[in-house]
Amino acid sequence: MIKNFFKIAWRNLWNNKGYTAINVGGLALGMAVTLIIGLWIQDEISHNGYFSKKDKLAQVFQSQTFNETTGTGPAIPRPLERALRDGYADNFKHLVMSSWNISRYLKYKDKSISKTGNFMQSEAPEMLDLKILKGEKDGLRELNSVMLSESVAYALFGEEEPIGKTLQVNNQYDVTVSAVYEDIPFNNSFHDVEFLMPWDKLIATQEWMKNAIDNWGNNSFQMFVQIADNITMEKVTEAIINVKKDLNEDTAEFNPQIFLFPMKDWYLRGNFENGRQSGGRIKYVWLFGIIGVFVLLLACINFMNLSTARSEKRAKEVGIRKSIGSQRNHLINQFLCESFLVVLFAFFMAVVIVIMSLNGFNDLSKKEISFPWTNGIFWISSLAFILFTALLAGSYPALYLSSFKPVDVLKGTFKSGRYAGLPRKILVVLQFTVSVAFIIGTVIVMQQINHAKNRPVGYNKEGLIQIPTFSQDFEGKYDLMRSEFLNSAAVIEMSASSSPTTRIWSNRSGFDWEGKPEGFQEDLAWTEVTPEYVKSLGMKIVEGRDFSREFATDSNAVLINRTAVKYMGIKDPIGKFLKDNDEEEDPGPPLKIIGVVEDMITESPYEPVKQGLYVFDKHGNSSYYNLRLNPNQSASQNIAIIERVFKEHFPDLPFEYDFVDDEYGKKFASEERIGTLSGVFTALAILISCLGLFGLTSFVAEQRTKEIGVRKVLGATVFNVWSMLSKDFLKLVTISCFIAVPIAYYVMNGWLQDYPYHMLLEWWIFALAVFGAMTVTVITVSFQAIKAANSNPVKSLRTE
Amino acid sequence: MLLKLNNIFKWVNSGGQRVFLLKDINLSVEEGEFISVMGPSGSGKSTLLNVIGMLDNFDEGEYSFLDEPVHTLKEKHRANLYKQYIGFVFQSYHLLDDLTVQENLEMPLLYKKVGSSERKSLVADTLDRFNIVGKKDLFPAQLSGGQQQLVGIARALISSPKLILADEPTGNLNSKQGEEIMELFKQLNSEGVTIIQVTHSEKNATYGSRIINLLDGRKI
Repeated sequence: MIKNFFKIAWRNLWNNKGYTAINVGGLALGMAVTLIIGLWIQDEISHNGYFSKKDKLAQVFQSQTFNETTGTGPAIPRPLERALRDGYADNFKHLVMSSWNISRYLKYKDKSISKTGNFMQSEAPEMLDLKILKGEKDGLRELNSVMLSESVAYALFGEEEPIGKTLQVNNQYDVTVSAVYEDIPFNNSFHDVEFLMPWDKLIATQEWMKNAIDNWGNNSFQMFVQIADNITMEKVTEAIINVKKDLNEDTAEFNPQIFLFPMKDWYLRGNFENGRQSGGRIKYVWLFGIIGVFVLLLACINFMNLSTARSEKRAKEVGIRKSIGSQRNHLINQFLCESFLVVLFAFFMAVVIVIMSLNGFNDLSKKEISFPWTNGIFWISSLAFILFTALLAGSYPALYLSSFKPVDVLKGTFKSGRYAGLPRKILVVLQFTVSVAFIIGTVIVMQQINHAKNRPVGYNKEGLIQIPTFSQDFEGKYDLMRSEFLNSAAVIEMSASSSPTTRIWSNRSGFDWEGKPEGFQEDLAWTEVTPEYVKSLGMKIVEGRDFSREFATDSNAVLINRTAVKYMGIKDPIGKFLKDNDEEEDPGPPLKIIGVVEDMITESPYEPVKQGLYVFDKHGNSSYYNLRLNPNQSASQNIAIIERVFKEHFPDLPFEYDFVDDEYGKKFASEERIGTLSGVFTALAILISCLGLFGLTSFVAEQRTKEIGVRKVLGATVFNVWSMLSKDFLKLVTISCFIAVPIAYYVMNGWLQDYPYHMLLEWWIFALAVFGAMTVTVITVSFQAIKAANSNPVKSLRTE
Repeated sequence: MLLKLNNIFKWVNSGGQRVFLLKDINLSVEEGEFISVMGPSGSGKSTLLNVIGMLDNFDEGEYSFLDEPVHTLKEKHRANLYKQYIGFVFQSYHLLDDLTVQENLEMPLLYKKVGSSERKSLVADTLDRFNIVGKKDLFPAQLSGGQQQLVGIARALISSPKLILADEPTGNLNSKQGEEIMELFKQLNSEGVTIIQVTHSEKNATYGSRIINLLDGRKI
């Protein structure tokens, strides 16, 4: 019987090729979207899945409260290590101090590359369970050792044996390769750990770190832990939450809370709002999950609608079958088989589509997803997915078609009743509601990105490059390099700064100034700059003056930004002093405010600008050179010259640079990705809906052939007929718009609230979406409507 | 006795009025009879046939088929009864367009859950008996009207029913084809199959052993 079902289903599909193409094509598109989204979600939720002990791993986080706002982050002070090791050792299996992910030049013979890695305590490889390819797992014991990832080892040594070889780090000190570990995969928080060096080595080379050993106020370090086997994260957090507050009085006023942030939450739930965990990327997982389900639903609706629209054709078959002994459940099975066959086809097509588009999707979404050919779970869930879709798409037509009474349909008087088309209409409304909501959502995401992009940044980011200067080699070379670069004619101005133009790397507090409110706990962005900073970046001085080499006293001068003036509550800031109020250590000299600069966006373009200080760099703390390129030459010419000059002075270092506007552009990457992806999915959703509409119109036109013929004989024009056929569908789309607009407004308004700097929702966006949907509907419907309207009435009437 | 109708009424409500399609029909049919039902359009011939064939319900009265009270049977039981004992022949043949002649013949057997080998031999026998072996792989659209009706009858007979219900079986055929079909019915009847046919044609009615005349849902 089953074989028979399939045979009939196959012939039925074959004999109605147009219908089948629309059905299979639409479903395949819908399934491809769902599959891709499924793979994407799988990739997202398996982030950090590489670590075998991930359920036991956590990072130690700290929340502190300044002026009633609580900030949360991974930065912790060094003495916390001692405190946890001494008082709470039972709670932890491993406890590892770590630096940030920092960049170092690694040099072997004449090969020098710049890579990022961490300085960690020796238990790190054991705790992370790194897969060691060569050498020993316990490779951080020796002070002068380094562990390399497979690809870094290959980049440096090629086919040579790396173990035991000596590398030079930052042209400063030598280390010996003790182990090579498998590259940490792309979807992992430790992906950028391309080398590991001993924590103690970093301390030995950095004076300020040594000094931080007892400083509870210097939150500049990271700590990772593996909790003991018999305890939970919550229990550990409960035990250690007040450890810092109890041990250190000075910082107690900020109410420091120490807690564990479990690895499973790092990636998807990494946002904190006022000390509380508040979601994160998980919202995009949900968002795309919902989009996937909806797109599939749209495709299933097509299937249902086209099947039921053809019901009058199938009605006769149902009647005959019932009259020769078929029972209703036979017919239900038969129609389900048919839908299963269609879905199976569609699935294979979808797999082909996915394979073809996976590369493009990876580019768009910044992922490295590959098709899981060998994954058994994937195929099993695919089968479940096929059955589910077949049931979803096939159940309604199966139940509807099989309910026909043979007497009615065989008499030839069968007419679907007045309300037979109602479910179909509801489904079309549902389809277009989803499509219109998608259109609105996408337009708003795009608009918001544009809105933030058009925000004035406070400096001229075009034609500006930055060169990292972390290596020891740059020490004391600033003035020389500046004159060399300026003489080369590729650069018209140059400065150095302690953090890149598009980031804040340091924050300070502990100042007194005239008119400071009682008990005010300030938090100021801190950037050390050379005197040409303002000029090279093209910032605007709004009050006072710029730094000047003419004034020797400018070495204790500071520029503050507009927001800082408001924030600190200083009237007439020029000439006022900021005094260091740290009494224990020797306080720095007071800083004199000489000027106010226009706010400059350094962090998120969606957030208000942070109050900041630009301090004269006395100690040569530069991390970046900022070079304003000569606008009269092409950028590539300029870069070539700069590279030549650079290599003359630093022949051992790789020449690295970034365009500041590119770096700034990266701040939009996440939103842009979301925007592009939802744009693509919206386009597909509309395409699928239109396919359905197209199919539906052709059936309606066919059904009404006789009516159209009669009308034409009575004198109806082509336009009359066209508008008659289009009107019905336009009505449905209008209803959709009325439903979609409020829903989209509500959802997108909520989304925009996440961004302090956001656009206003304007009516034209909604009007545009509605107009777009209407236009697409009219065009789709017209294809068939005009054809039907032009048909010869004599022909259509004769066939009756 | 094959079947017996007692005081069968069937009506529809139209505009607040009860319109009778069948009014007080009493009929008993013995095995081996060949009955022709006649009457003008709208007199209830097809409705009567559908009621007998259990495709349609009635509103009042009693109907027993092989001593089983049809009006009290459950849907499923009724379907089994009718699957086993009744075959239908239609005016417009009603073959399944997507199936070949052979597959059309096989269909009722599939619904009766007849085993594969028995099914094959039954289909082969029937093709042979109706002389349509050469047509077995053709689709209905490739056959003439008479040939299609031949397949229709063959399909009705393949599960060896006791009763054949034919609703104007020659209505769409020319006179020569019609005559052939009627001859076939006569032959089947002589082999013991009970036949009830609805017809407009006096000539076709004479093939039967008994004529029932209907007018406005009443037997006259």
